[in-house]
Amino acid sequence: MEIDRRGLLKAAGLSLLGLVGGSVWYVISRAKLPEPSPTPKTLVGKKWGMVIDLKKCWGTDGCTDCIDVCHRVHNVPRFGNPKDEIKWIWTVPYEKAFPEHQLEFIEEDVRARPVPVLCNQCDNPPCIKYCPTKATWRREDGVVMMDYHRCIGCRYCMAGCPYGSRSFNWKNPRPFIKKINFDFPTRTKGVVEKCNFCQERLIQGLLPACVEACKERALIFGDLNDPDSDVRRILRSRHTIQRHSELGTKPKVFYVL
Amino acid sequence: MAKRDLDLGEDKVLLEHVRRTGKGFYITFSILVALTLWGIYAYLTQYRYGLGVTGLSRQIFWGVYITNFVFFIGISHAGTFISAILRVAKAEWRRPISRSAELTTVFILLFGVGSVLVDLGRPDRMLYVIRYPHFRSPLLWDVICITTYLTVSSICLYLALIPDVALLRDLGEKRKWLYQVLALGYRGTERQRHLLDRGISFMAILVIPVMITVHTVVSFVFAMTIQPMWHSAIFGPYFVVGAIFSGIAAVIVAIAVIRKVFHLEAYLKPVHFNNLGILLLVMTLLWFYFTAAEYVTVFYGSEPGEMSIFWSKLTGRFSLLFWIDFVLCFLIPLPILAFRKTRTILGTFIASTSIIIGMWLERFVIIVPTLTQQRLSIERAIYIPTWVEWSILAGCISFFLLLYLFFVKLFPIVPIWEVREGREKSIVEVGERIKTYLPGGGKE
Amino acid sequence: MYDSGKVMAGLVIFGCLVTSPIWYNALTGKSGYIPKPKIVTDKKQCIEPKEYIRTRHKDLLKDWRESVVRKGIRTYTGSDKKRYTMSLTRTCMNCHSNKLDEFCLQCHNYMGVTNNCWDCHAYPKGT
Repeated sequence: MEIDRRGLLKAAGLSLLGLVGGSVWYVISRAKLPEPSPTPKTLVGKKWGMVIDLKKCWGTDGCTDCIDVCHRVHNVPRFGNPKDEIKWIWTVPYEKAFPEHQLEFIEEDVRARPVPVLCNQCDNPPCIKYCPTKATWRREDGVVMMDYHRCIGCRYCMAGCPYGSRSFNWKNPRPFIKKINFDFPTRTKGVVEKCNFCQERLIQGLLPACVEACKERALIFGDLNDPDSDVRRILRSRHTIQRHSELGTKPKVFYVL
Repeated sequence: MAKRDLDLGEDKVLLEHVRRTGKGFYITFSILVALTLWGIYAYLTQYRYGLGVTGLSRQIFWGVYITNFVFFIGISHAGTFISAILRVAKAEWRRPISRSAELTTVFILLFGVGSVLVDLGRPDRMLYVIRYPHFRSPLLWDVICITTYLTVSSICLYLALIPDVALLRDLGEKRKWLYQVLALGYRGTERQRHLLDRGISFMAILVIPVMITVHTVVSFVFAMTIQPMWHSAIFGPYFVVGAIFSGIAAVIVAIAVIRKVFHLEAYLKPVHFNNLGILLLVMTLLWFYFTAAEYVTVFYGSEPGEMSIFWSKLTGRFSLLFWIDFVLCFLIPLPILAFRKTRTILGTFIASTSIIIGMWLERFVIIVPTLTQQRLSIERAIYIPTWVEWSILAGCISFFLLLYLFFVKLFPIVPIWEVREGREKSIVEVGERIKTYLPGGGKE
Repeated sequence: MYDSGKVMAGLVIFGCLVTSPIWYNALTGKSGYIPKPKIVTDKKQCIEPKEYIRTRHKDLLKDWRESVVRKGIRTYTGSDKKRYTMSLTRTCMNCHSNKLDEFCLQCHNYMGVTNNCWDCHAYPKGT
């Protein structure tokens, strides 16, 4: 059997054509699935934001209600050490939350007061630029989302976030969750996670869990696009600050003192 | 090939290490295999239990692996710099060292890529980078540049290997089937030589810009973030200089060992070490210049976020590492390389070893301190790499050496055809060339 | 063709090796095995016709996943115009509530399919 170059090329070409044609046919032959339809409650044209009233927050000493409830409903594991730690909302001393404020002559007491911090759900989020697989992105309603199905665990978004809002699953988190909430997925080892502004609750028309849990009503949540919303009212009437607004990230979590 | 070409004469010694396998080979081989397996075991442990087995934490989430990535990619600049740039510059003394330089490039690149993959939390999803690519991410730029670089430098290595493979085939060495396939029917005819020459020259020019982009893009991984002391415009050239710096050092170490082990004193001569030493000296000074420019700018600007990291490096927690790095990269090599008397084989070897270790530390000191004090430093984070990370580093280096060893078992490490070409053609050519530099002599 | 004998022998050996699992199952009598996924529910109908679900449930679930996570759309309208919440744990598992190994894994094991849905999506009775 003799095969010359021309023959070989022809055969190779035909097989290649067959392969390509076959796969094209495979794709075309599969009919499109029915399109999902939006629910009446799907939130379109909104831009979610939060105001944290620190005066009210400091009303009760040592209160961790918002943290507890958030970590419970979102199956956030507790490792009990800072190395593996995962957190969605937590507190830091005032001077750490706002290092740009000159606090030289302020009372010692204020510097150390706990400020609740969480993902700022930036309107111009730096983290999403870095993700090589689009596993994190900003949704139309302004929520910066994480797709745990797609995250490859490179942790570049953690390097991109100037607020340290993101946590990584260094271990399998399941054994470290006291009681699993079956309405929300857990995560696996090797992916990055963070606060999702309770988008799973927003979609049902509910307020974020932390907002609901706060007895002092220190957390106020609402639509920044709606001039009559509670958040907009506060933003109009009081002086608010954002964390590191000089970085141009446009945080959507505001603080009032 | 003509009969005359098969008579190797004194160049026979260059094939000795392919022909004869001594006790030393088996001992080295076993040690390297053991270390490699140990590294694989360490990785499997990590794969099973997650990255929690490393010393990394929420605050310091990049460490040894990312350091290895930058370091290995840096070493890979050796081959291109020495082989391509010296080839383009018609530096005749490059001939015996070009292959070992190219080999270092290709093999170490694999481990640069590997280090990133080892660092992934979900390595099973690594192909998502291709399936769902996000071109705004500097990591994707890395993927593109490094694959291009690996392809181009592999082609460079292979092209320059063909005449020697053909020689091995015609000499009827062991494993003739392998050489038969790899030689691609090269017979050394006038036309083939001409084509090969053109191919090599073309690739040598192509690989230089690719090399520059590769390390620039690697630096962009850090420089594109807004973290203090990473977000710096100098990082591109700074990393490229550091890469060439460590790359040349790696080649000096490699050829010093090859010279000793394979008794190639006649080919790898003090002049080669002297010339590479001068290049290394230039890079030492350039490295110092860039480092100084970077730190002085930060210091004078005194931006609080950057200053906390600046002081943690100069006087704080990382000061020990920082100053060891400075001593190893600058204070030790500079005097050795500056004087003709100490720029010997031993001298350049010591300077290079010191630089290689120093440059690993330098990468570490660039990456880790920034993470300990990002804008929001909450806890006092500590990072102590665990046995897993050190074992994987050891495994990577052993596996690299193992690949190198295999290659040396199969192919001559000093390119025979290049040495012969130098002897037969270049002496006349260079003479002609010099005449053109002088008034009245030679063709224009 | 050179060495046609060797090539042919090689091909025969290769063919035997490749088809060996088939021979193995035929000889051990396992080839007649048919997976029997158990359905424990009083409902008569899945969200789509049985044939469609059988062949395409994987695509459907992937579509749901993309839709919920990436588009924020959580309601699925079936071909019979009924509406369902797109949720593995709250819709699928309402009917297929028996243990995973009695339903999902019956076919998945038979086909050598592995998935890691349950690594994250928690389900009270399952893993």
